[in-house]
Amino acid sequence: MAVKRRGTAAFDEDEVPEDEMNDLGDEAVDSELESDEEEDEEDGEEDVKLPEAKANAVYDRDGIMDKLGDMSWPQDVPWIQRLTVDVDSQQEKEVDVNDDLARELAFYTQALEGTREAFGKFESMGLPFLRPSDYYAEMVKTDSHMEKVKSRLLAEKRNIEEAEERKKARESKKLAKEVQAQKQKERAKQKKDEIETVKKWRKQRQKSGFPENDKDGDLPLDFEDGKPFVKSGKKRPGVTPGDRSGGKSRQGVGKGRKGMDKKMKKRETRDSKFGFGGRKGVKKQNTAETTNDLRGIKQSNASGNKKRKR
Amino acid sequence: MGKKRKQREAETNGPAAKKEDAAASEERPKRTLLGWKEKPQENADAAATAPSFRNKEKVLVTCSRRINFRYRHLMLNVVSLLPHCKKDNKVESKEIKGATLNELVELRNCSSCLFFECRKHLDLYLWMAKCPNGPSVKFLVNAVHTMEELKLTGNHLKGSRPILTFSANFDKDAHWLLLKEMIIQIFGTPKGHQKSKPHHDHVFAFSIVDDHIWFRNYQIAVPHIESDKVPRGSLEKMTLVEVGPRFCLNPIKIFGGSFGGPTLYENPFYVSPNQIRALQKKRKTGKYAKKVKAKTRRKMHELSNPLEPDEFADMWKE
Repeated sequence: MAVKRRGTAAFDEDEVPEDEMNDLGDEAVDSELESDEEEDEEDGEEDVKLPEAKANAVYDRDGIMDKLGDMSWPQDVPWIQRLTVDVDSQQEKEVDVNDDLARELAFYTQALEGTREAFGKFESMGLPFLRPSDYYAEMVKTDSHMEKVKSRLLAEKRNIEEAEERKKARESKKLAKEVQAQKQKERAKQKKDEIETVKKWRKQRQKSGFPENDKDGDLPLDFEDGKPFVKSGKKRPGVTPGDRSGGKSRQGVGKGRKGMDKKMKKRETRDSKFGFGGRKGVKKQNTAETTNDLRGIKQSNASGNKKRKR
Repeated sequence: MGKKRKQREAETNGPAAKKEDAAASEERPKRTLLGWKEKPQENADAAATAPSFRNKEKVLVTCSRRINFRYRHLMLNVVSLLPHCKKDNKVESKEIKGATLNELVELRNCSSCLFFECRKHLDLYLWMAKCPNGPSVKFLVNAVHTMEELKLTGNHLKGSRPILTFSANFDKDAHWLLLKEMIIQIFGTPKGHQKSKPHHDHVFAFSIVDDHIWFRNYQIAVPHIESDKVPRGSLEKMTLVEVGPRFCLNPIKIFGGSFGGPTLYENPFYVSPNQIRALQKKRKTGKYAKKVKAKTRRKMHELSNPLEPDEFADMWKE
């Protein structure tokens, strides 16, 4: 409430200097039309101007000049008494009142230029004008107040830093995700490529008709890092998964091969009975079939025990 | 008075200042003959005849009763910026008349007055008056920021003499020239004032933008080692830090006398804040009035074109 911002009204008259206002005739009529349109748009204006200069406003120029002459100091007063500097910086362009930054910048530059000029004068006069660093005296703002100002500045700085850190962390997270995705993609691509090369190699090999000498340089190499294990399409019925003999041992029992001598036959039977090759564990484990099969179990289980006792 | 002079001499330093003082002391007997109780206007005239001029400005700073805290703080800030001012008690609103204020200024031996007048706890008016011969100006004060605000980070010596910078458009018109002269006399700290300190470490910026006088106060920060010697580049490296307060003055009227007299200037564009508020209120009331109007219009319309009776109205009655 107390801080009144100047509104966004941009009346034409704002730029017109006062003396032009006085002999303002038809000019005002034109601008009045424009400003009327604008007035409907603007809402909640805190500080408005009359769109048109009041016709009966008093302006006693001679009286003002008289008064000025009465009150002003004599002309030959040394500059050191007045300490005033006129700065001609706004001449090139009008400052927009509602643009806070531009306005403040204009004030700042005006003050800065004025100070430079004044300091130049001080220097030429040979006067001491800067406060020595060891000159302590009462300041306009108290130390406690300056402490507050400082703490606020520090807090602001800290806030900014924290925000930046958060931002950085977020970004790095995003980046890490991206890198991860890239890596996975690369791996998949590599795998695909390798499979492809193996396929190619195979095709080539097939085309060339399987040279007898299978000692191609890239054969073991391909197996090393290519396909791990290619299952053959053939199904072998009646072969336990662990049997590496290829089911020969089982088959041998039923068929009885010709041309084999007796000794071999015996071996075969024994092999099929006791197992030869393959994982022993799997073969020896109970399955649903074996548990239901009661053939091997004699009824007199207790008798056996008796025997043992004896 | 003589005692005071001694103090002042002890306080001032620098060779040029001493020379000034010597010149002033030569002039002293003449002044005593003229009389110390003389009005400052005549004093200024007397000074004009004398080769050496001495600024004896004293500003009475006061405010009306029921002033807002914000505006009171602004006033106190102004008091802290002007070592040559005298702060007085609040003035009863009944007594905000030219005569009483003039009396008060005279009682306090001042030559000018800054009177902060708060109305409706909302609007701040600032009277700037040269007493007793005038002129006086009434401003509406806008966009007030006090020194207490934490974003204004600068600080400077209390009582050091400010450099007054004015934008070029103060020379554009007669009333601006008058205002400039008044501002120089009121805001400029007299040289060699007892409470003033040597060194210049702040600058006031007065500039006219949009027919308002904007006030800014900056601290001058120059990297330097000794007080009088400045390395060449350091003036370029000079920066300003805002100290505050900030305010914006909208001139309303200029009077010939102090707190009264013939009107010399009237701002042709001025709209009082009361009028603005009334306008806003009016706009708000318009909304309801419009609604009521629309309702009655609708009613009239319905009455004038009644619906024709429905032929199927009692179809299902029996």
